[in-house]
Amino acid sequence: MEKLGRILRIGPTDNTSNERTPRENLRIIPPAARDSFLPYSRVQPGIRMGENDLTRLAPQMPRAEGDAIEMSGQILDDIGQPLRHALVEIWNANKYGKYAHDLDGYDAPLDPNFSGLGRTLTDEEGRYKFWTIDPGCYLARPDINRWRPKHIHLSIRGGASRLITQMYFKDAEHNDTDPMRIVMAEDFHLNIGKKYETPDIDVERGFKFDIVIRGKNSTFFE
Amino acid sequence: MNDTINPTNRLPLTNEDTVGPYYPISYDHDDGMDLTKSTIGQQFGAKGDKIILRGRYLDKDGNGAHGALIEFWQANAQGVFRTEDTEASPEIDPHFDGYTRHRTVTGGFQLKTIKSGTQLGRAPNITLTLFSDGISRLVTQVFFENEVSNETDPVLLSLPQDKREKLIARLVGEDDDNVPIYDIEIILAGKGETPFFDDFLALGWRD
Ligand SMILES: [Fe+2]
Repeated sequence: MEKLGRILRIGPTDNTSNERTPRENLRIIPPAARDSFLPYSRVQPGIRMGENDLTRLAPQMPRAEGDAIEMSGQILDDIGQPLRHALVEIWNANKYGKYAHDLDGYDAPLDPNFSGLGRTLTDEEGRYKFWTIDPGCYLARPDINRWRPKHIHLSIRGGASRLITQMYFKDAEHNDTDPMRIVMAEDFHLNIGKKYETPDIDVERGFKFDIVIRGKNSTFFE
Repeated sequence: MNDTINPTNRLPLTNEDTVGPYYPISYDHDDGMDLTKSTIGQQFGAKGDKIILRGRYLDKDGNGAHGALIEFWQANAQGVFRTEDTEASPEIDPHFDGYTRHRTVTGGFQLKTIKSGTQLGRAPNITLTLFSDGISRLVTQVFFENEVSNETDPVLLSLPQDKREKLIARLVGEDDDNVPIYDIEIILAGKGETPFFDDFLALGWRD
């Protein structure tokens, strides 16, 4: 019998997930074609000064509203090697749960001092660091009063490694009803930032978010 | 963590998550949708036959998958992928990377590129990865009509006939510079669904 791949789960109460998730099993990639499915990205954009500090639009500008937080961590592949010089992009809602994005129609105030966008490159040890504003939650499904818990979006790419994910906060309001949190099930803890104190720097608190991405050395085994 | 799903000493992977509806539009600017020119304003360009691939991602109800991120990946005119391991190879085209990323507005895209060469029994193809709101990632490969090598390509051969057709872009004309234009419709869910591939399994993941 033909061997098939996974069936993807639809995020409960997520309309877009219902509209866009394939219903058929994924197909197994034939061994002869495996390498061709692994992109390699040489793209390294020019990063502007201060682009990893989302709490100000530019270094001399006023601070955005809300609690300034640090988010930092190390990015490793699954055999523990650091992902060096990789592009890390983050984006998050402001204190009120509102994105500055053109398409966000959520009825909450925009903060003129907060774009919610940040980028950086990882260092020699795969480490990254951002300052941002502690994001608010937002109402994703007004018809059933389903909210998104607060979260920070991340996209990482460097060489053969790419990951798009979100960092969540421990025991935050609305975590339990979030569609992707439900899909992640017992692995959800891997996507929670670990809180740390920040007595010596100009932010309220820090969250350590270490990330593990499949690397090019991942091998196939049956 | 569960040792039975991670029988090696590998670190547990961070979960992928959806890209959400608000991937920053400005982050798109460093990627281009013309892979035939590596540097704007120079006469250098990629070797190979230029083509245009136009595509549309449609959801279960036939609506375009707006606000999604697509990643494109292909070999050069010699059929060689540009990676860390091949960078020094004489078959690498210094003016062709084969990688870009694009955020859709209404679900469509137009990529100007070159047709990849055939090597190791593969037909010319482009790997498309979709990152979208509602799903974490979806991967497939697109092929081109009238290529003899389609008949022996392992990816196409791994599919039933009706599914193969879903991955073959149709030649619909050419642009003002006589560059052939191919069209593909990618149906994410439901009737006429496009086949997608399990790259997690291919890369050592098991669940
Ligand atoms: Fe979000």
